[in-house]
Amino acid sequence: MSDLFAFRGAEGAGWSQPEPIIDSKIAVATIPDGLLRKSLPKWPRASEPELVRHYTWLSNRNFGIDTGFYPLGSCTMKHNPRLNEKIVQLPGIDRIHPLQPEQHIQGLLAIYYEMQEMLAICSGMEVVTLQPVAGAQGEFAAIRCIQEFHKSNGEGQRDKVIVPDSAHGTNPASASMCGYDIIEIPSAKDGRLDLGALGAAVGDDTAAMMITNPSTLGLFETEVGEAARIVHEAGGQMYYDGANFNAIIGKTDPGIMGFDAVHYNLHKTFSQPHGGGGPGSGPIGVKGHLARFLPTPIASRRERGGEDPEGVGDGFWYFWEDVGEDSIGKVQQWNGNAGAVVRAWAFYRRFGRELERMSEHAVLNSNYLRSRIMNPKKEIAREIHAMPAEGAPADLVMHEFTLSLSPLKELHGVTGKDVAKRLLDYGYMSPTLYFPQIVPECLMIEPTETESKEVLDKFAEDLHAILSEDPDVVTGAPHTTPVKRVDEVWAARNLVLRHPHREMDQS
Amino acid sequence: MDQLPNLGRESEMLRAMGMDSIEELFSNIPEGIRREGALPLPEPQTEEEIWDDARRILGANVTLDDKPSFLSAGLVRNFVPSMVGMIATRGEFLTSYTPYQPEVSQGMLQAMWEFQTMISELCGLPVSNVSMYDASTAAAEAITCAVRVHNKKAAQKNVVYVSEFVPPHRLSVIRNYTCGAGIEIMILNHSENGMIDLQTAETASGCCAVYVEQPNALGIIDEGLTGLKELLGDDTALIVGADTTSMGIIEPPGNWGADIVVGEGQPFGIGPTGGGPIYGIFSCAQNYLRQMPGRIVGQSWDADGNLAFTLTLSTREQHIRRHRATSNICSNETLIALMGAIHMALLGPEGLEKLALRIAATTESTKRAVLGVDGIQLAFPEAANFREFAVLLPGNSSDALSHLDKSGVIGGFNLGNWWERMSDRLLIGTDERTSPEDIAALTRGLSSWIEGGCS
Repeated sequence: MSDLFAFRGAEGAGWSQPEPIIDSKIAVATIPDGLLRKSLPKWPRASEPELVRHYTWLSNRNFGIDTGFYPLGSCTMKHNPRLNEKIVQLPGIDRIHPLQPEQHIQGLLAIYYEMQEMLAICSGMEVVTLQPVAGAQGEFAAIRCIQEFHKSNGEGQRDKVIVPDSAHGTNPASASMCGYDIIEIPSAKDGRLDLGALGAAVGDDTAAMMITNPSTLGLFETEVGEAARIVHEAGGQMYYDGANFNAIIGKTDPGIMGFDAVHYNLHKTFSQPHGGGGPGSGPIGVKGHLARFLPTPIASRRERGGEDPEGVGDGFWYFWEDVGEDSIGKVQQWNGNAGAVVRAWAFYRRFGRELERMSEHAVLNSNYLRSRIMNPKKEIAREIHAMPAEGAPADLVMHEFTLSLSPLKELHGVTGKDVAKRLLDYGYMSPTLYFPQIVPECLMIEPTETESKEVLDKFAEDLHAILSEDPDVVTGAPHTTPVKRVDEVWAARNLVLRHPHREMDQS
Repeated sequence: MDQLPNLGRESEMLRAMGMDSIEELFSNIPEGIRREGALPLPEPQTEEEIWDDARRILGANVTLDDKPSFLSAGLVRNFVPSMVGMIATRGEFLTSYTPYQPEVSQGMLQAMWEFQTMISELCGLPVSNVSMYDASTAAAEAITCAVRVHNKKAAQKNVVYVSEFVPPHRLSVIRNYTCGAGIEIMILNHSENGMIDLQTAETASGCCAVYVEQPNALGIIDEGLTGLKELLGDDTALIVGADTTSMGIIEPPGNWGADIVVGEGQPFGIGPTGGGPIYGIFSCAQNYLRQMPGRIVGQSWDADGNLAFTLTLSTREQHIRRHRATSNICSNETLIALMGAIHMALLGPEGLEKLALRIAATTESTKRAVLGVDGIQLAFPEAANFREFAVLLPGNSSDALSHLDKSGVIGGFNLGNWWERMSDRLLIGTDERTSPEDIAALTRGLSSWIEGGCS
């Protein structure tokens, strides 16, 4: 165990810095006496060699896409190209300030503009802003725009947002933060949207419906056009949760499907690394009627005039355009996660007009893996205690699919969680567990387009092996991970949320 | 296209499923909503080509390191130790997801638990989460959190007071995040001298929360704020937005009554990066814990009795509680918080103090030099400052900044962009990198602007 707070070098140990440019006493005297800090924070006193080793030790106890297959459904854990990381180290992005004048940030504005255009094209939307910094913030910002749209039409009484029961938790949470009541409609028996239930839910109190397509079950909502018609007829707006956008680029788009607003997850579809939970980037796109409500500002351009400096050399002068007085204003302090936008730009440039191939391979891999899992070789099938059931009956899935481990649970008491933990022993990250909640003992699997056929074959075989194993081995998993199963109940009851510093206090 | 390992093997995989074409995979998309034709986008590029384009396009930007720079306004030109980026971008950290499987995520979980400890120590409060998007969303969600805690007993229900010097972009974030909860934002005015007027502040008593900043957006350190909690009492939350580095020398708000401390974490861990990704810190007293937004790591034990870490109190969060969650936050800024943690650990307590002292020194030094320029006055002459200070110019700030830009200096921020009445005030920001040469260039530029008639 390497403990950061056990590093207790001499006072002043650590990273060296130049001296203050004037006498420290004069500097201290600028702080009002009563406000001078009395005792310093109990931070470690460590040198660079010690800390490099500490954090490397920690990294060895962490699993990333680089470590192994990461089939975490709905999270699109695709490979993160290293070029993108190299680009964001360039001083032209790392060392610029969002409040610099336009003539200083022509390069950043040009990339913003190109990304806005690209996202609009891929989604069938008219105007895009890159300001929201996470999918959930994109949802929130777009629902706020819809809220202002209704108010401006004198329809502020619309106070309900409809979500299917298979929706991501952020959908109802974001709408609720805007002050909306949530109507959750049950899915149909095949896991798809229930138009009857939707028809019964809409009314003159409907502000919007939020759905993702393909759904979290990995199914394409074939009746999405009809759903849009029902919602629009009731006067509501259609919101597209872009978490599963990786499945459809170039094949269809939210605009054609009838949506009015959409968010994109640059950290899913466009390979911004997830970083252990963030940063993300959640731009939103809207049809024209919602554009004047978007967060401000948006990157724009005009043809370069004679007096303009050279800029990026493409004949345009880029600038921030204020959205205007109807704008909802700001959701993030600056203009979004520019570093994430630049990474996503470098990713999209690899595919360009061929982005469609990316989605094709995501769907190919998903169907292939599902087929391999559901059709074990005969000699293996004999050994399997109980095959998983389909989360939803369907001939085809999109970029992800769900399995129910209920049959195994009924036979041997082995749960979805047990199988997920056993997969860790085999060197995989667990699939998304127990989501969507409508599938019992659910494993949600999304292989992404960046896994090879061999990896998918091996994963299916290993899953079959687990389904054939002694149930006790599976329920006791994991066995080979840095720590064994962690007691989450103890953590929640005792709430040790920081280092107690007992030893340091005694010293 | 080189990101697709199965390129060229499509038919083999399709055959294994009894299919002939990729199009079959998409046959569930009804005819009427299919997209026709190729995307009107450029040709695919190779890594070499993208790199060249990135260098050319981003090379057109002027960086804060290219010229003497006095632009700060809430996002700082810092120096990040080399180790920070190199270690944080190790693939095991960089390419991991939220640590839902603690058995294979101990590295990030422990690092975030250590981060929570260092933030808690820095702010003088017992609890910290693993980051918010930025200082503004941290402030906004601190307010909604405080209202949930205090609204029942509050005499002024749903009312929150916010300092008038909270900059408009932050106020806008706060308004967006609070309007849905029906929270009324009242403005707490400051005196002429820039300080909070405690008598005015009395109007806030009985409300759910008061949000002030220390030092505030104009760099003013207000000693009077230390009396605020006593005035407000236990049923009103005192939320303080702090300059994180300043807490190396200034008493942390947690030690003078703040219930929640928020702020911009960016000075620790990452450059200004065009405004993001950065991270907000969020630290609070115990009684706000269950209403707190964001992820929290707790210590626990594994099945063999070994020390282990796991996400905890998840029942507050959107993926469990859905529309009753304390916040919709899911993706946060963990990797940037990790960078911050490494930076803080490298500094150590005395390193932090020294960093704050260096900034106090450049603030004072720049202030003295600028005051030596004929025609320039401090906007708030009585105020003590950290990092930033506002000056009153004999002309328009925008003209001064254009002149300075031409003479090779990024001169600061035009306060008229935030508050129209302040268009003759310039916000000058300093940092640990500000050198005597930079300061000389600034004063030379300002002098020549004034001598030339302020045009």
